[in-house]
Amino acid sequence: MNRATSLKISVSGVRGVVGESLTPQLVAKFAQAFGTYLGRGEVIVGQDSRQSGIMVKKAVLSGLLSLGCKPVDVGICPIPSIQVFTKQAKAMGAIVVTASHNPKEWNGLKFLNKDGLFLNYHQVEEFLDIYHQGEFSLADVDKYRIPENEENPTEPHTKKLLSYLNVDSIAKGKFKVAIDCCNGAGAVLAPWLLERLGCRPVLLNCVPDGRFAHHPEPLPENIAELCRAVVENKADVGFVQDADADRLAVVNEKGEPLGEEMTLVLAAKHVLSQEPGPVVINLSTSQAIDDIAADYGVPVIRTKIGEINVVETLLSLEEKPAIGGEGNGGVILPAIHPCRDSFTAMGLILEYMASSGKAVSELQNEVPRYFMIKDRIDKTREESYRLIKELRKKFTDKGESSLVDGMKIIFSDYWVHIRPSNTEPIVRLIVEAPSKTKAEEMVKLWRREIEGISKWK
Amino acid sequence: MKLLKIGISGVRGIVGETIVPELVMDFASAFGTYLQTKKVLVGRDTRISGPMLHEAVLSSLISTGCDVLDLGICPAPILQFMVRKLEAGGAVSITAGHNDLKWNALTFVDQQGTYLNVFQGEEVLDIYHLGKFDKAAVDHLGKLERKENYLDSYFEDLKKYLNAEAIKRASLKVIIDPCSGAGAGIIDVFSRCLDFELIPVNNDPNGYFPHDPEPRPRNAQEVASVMKVVKADAGFLLNSDVSRVSIVTENGEMLSEEFTFPLIANEYLKRKRGTVITNLSSSRMIEDVAQKRKCPLMKAKVGQSYSIQTAVNEDAVIAGEGSGSVAVLEFQPAFDGFLTMGHILEIMASRKKKISELVEELPRYHIVKEKIYCPPTKVHSVVHEVKKLFSGRKMDSSDGIKVEDEEGWVHVRASATEPMIRIIAEDKSKENARERAEEVMNFISTLVK
Repeated sequence: MNRATSLKISVSGVRGVVGESLTPQLVAKFAQAFGTYLGRGEVIVGQDSRQSGIMVKKAVLSGLLSLGCKPVDVGICPIPSIQVFTKQAKAMGAIVVTASHNPKEWNGLKFLNKDGLFLNYHQVEEFLDIYHQGEFSLADVDKYRIPENEENPTEPHTKKLLSYLNVDSIAKGKFKVAIDCCNGAGAVLAPWLLERLGCRPVLLNCVPDGRFAHHPEPLPENIAELCRAVVENKADVGFVQDADADRLAVVNEKGEPLGEEMTLVLAAKHVLSQEPGPVVINLSTSQAIDDIAADYGVPVIRTKIGEINVVETLLSLEEKPAIGGEGNGGVILPAIHPCRDSFTAMGLILEYMASSGKAVSELQNEVPRYFMIKDRIDKTREESYRLIKELRKKFTDKGESSLVDGMKIIFSDYWVHIRPSNTEPIVRLIVEAPSKTKAEEMVKLWRREIEGISKWK
Repeated sequence: MKLLKIGISGVRGIVGETIVPELVMDFASAFGTYLQTKKVLVGRDTRISGPMLHEAVLSSLISTGCDVLDLGICPAPILQFMVRKLEAGGAVSITAGHNDLKWNALTFVDQQGTYLNVFQGEEVLDIYHLGKFDKAAVDHLGKLERKENYLDSYFEDLKKYLNAEAIKRASLKVIIDPCSGAGAGIIDVFSRCLDFELIPVNNDPNGYFPHDPEPRPRNAQEVASVMKVVKADAGFLLNSDVSRVSIVTENGEMLSEEFTFPLIANEYLKRKRGTVITNLSSSRMIEDVAQKRKCPLMKAKVGQSYSIQTAVNEDAVIAGEGSGSVAVLEFQPAFDGFLTMGHILEIMASRKKKISELVEELPRYHIVKEKIYCPPTKVHSVVHEVKKLFSGRKMDSSDGIKVEDEEGWVHVRASATEPMIRIIAEDKSKENARERAEEVMNFISTLVK
């Protein structure tokens, strides 16, 4: 069967299509399973700005209340702020209603533990066992708790940001910053934070109503509006967040998108120049990070795809890591919180601009240039598995390879990474090369390879 | 055995046993699918489990594509009133009325503001059993709006309907015990609306009930004990959704809840003749009142849905039950505790009489209300068996078994809310009433071991 399912349960949580698979009943059951897993206590509940957010959140609240948990509703809130708040509030954990960068008909749940971290594989497995067994610790009325609303959930996060960043230095730059929140959860914090950093924000799509003005993934093709705004307003920089505000893409002062890979590259370069330490990134992240790390003589550790994998590795290192992240615009600064955080990313880049006194395009030119192409091919999970198996058989001895997640092969003049997505019924094909032509050629080559295998199988 | 009662207009059960998010969502989704209309109201009483059901109902209605106006904590009669006022397609009322804290329930209301009738209820149940609910795509999800400041609209109409001038002039002092239910806090608005001095008891909507939320003498101690101390003119007890009222007189006499309906009918039928609706379990007082006022009386099955539906179909002027429920149809087709209290105050004011004096105008009967445990699977067959006890006598079996004679009657029926058989007996003499009830109870106890 070639049918792509509209429900996806994975290590990153649950995602489904509203009106098809993601019903209140299903959501409540997941909330009950998670509450049963956590035990009775306070559970933080937040959401991104999607139109279906209220429907899904209400179902979560009902599920948690039925267990005698006390939900604390933080409303529409950036996911990194929820992560910091969960830890600070000493809650048992959190449920975030979000489908990250998926299109608007999707929504889902992400689950956080008491440290404000996503559940790891083992924790997800335990929790899913409870879900599948279907026995939840329902409470009698004498155990029922009254739910609460939290009016200021971003405060612990912003406090940390403002004490970490060199606010005075940034403020002196009086940067004009075009910010596109994609009408997502970032809109509740980004304009305020930029003002607080002494910037002059130009606001685009800063109403958190979930009416995504463009596809909520901050890819160059989705941010033409921001590029124009940077030029028209003569801004120093443009930022765009995804719907739950964990990822950030950057546009330079000429209105050119840097490509989401550059967010972490610039942030890492700045952080390493101040305090060198190991860097943790996933397999698909740009080679540029390795080059920069080599300049500072620090190791790069590569993990499977998935935020939690990067975070777990960061937390397990003996030597204090400097920074981590993903090439998709996810910057992780352990000094703030071990999570992807678009606000930290913004702060670091502004700080870099201020301390270097250089324009974004100049900073961009100082780092090694690579071209990355991310392609996708529709495949069910089963098909993906068979495809990877065949590819491994055929290619692993052809270059320096990693089988940690799908198949990655590093050739002398480019690398390729082919892996099944955790969140969508697709296979991802990622190629990075020093030139655009080379990258395009290699994508074509590997697409043909994949199609060939799919045919004769 | 888990307790779940699916009635004609909703579902009731024990929280954590049968009342769990999934069941609530399935019923609310079935109702949303049934309505095929955009606007639905939702309100609840104060019980601690309320938010769990409330969130489940909101989520489900939105998912079926209904626009929801959330009234928050709201007495049932005000919710029913607002359905018509806001021209909604229906409402979900989250309350277990007089049941204790461990219960909760959903009641579905149609666009007239009345509980669903048998036909409507069956349709909802069919959808529920089929399990095929409307699932709106993201652009067609219902919108949720929190409705504030709607109380004025209800109380303005109530003030217009009643003789507010007379009530104000009487400067009455009234104790009200809303049992920390949906009436808590709102009775203050009520007192300002009718200009009487309010002495509230248990007026904090904290999620817990200080006593059983059933308005009847055994729960009236607190009110009765302060009655004389503060020299109040009347005392009222409300259930958790303000659909029932029982009365305490100025002397501190805790009147049976049976008095509420006849007290109002006795006066109201003087100015408005018409059909009176009651049920088989209510005191004969109302029959005597109807007869005295030369008004026809009809009996419906027990429960708000049946009474109001019959009243609407028969074009009745007033309907009520011995549980302390009264609906005056020209005001609204719903059991309404505020209207009930307002009417009593109006009668006191306009006739310049004390409650004890008004009670004196009614014939006195003695009523005994008992209940006996019976496994839910046997309840109906046991009630049927009771027929044997009365073989050869005239019986009414439209709702359980009722046997009547000149002096009194006994009514045996399955409870709609608990695994119980209810036995209600009435007689001119107290001893005989008790004897009538005991005869049946002894017989049942031989059947249920």
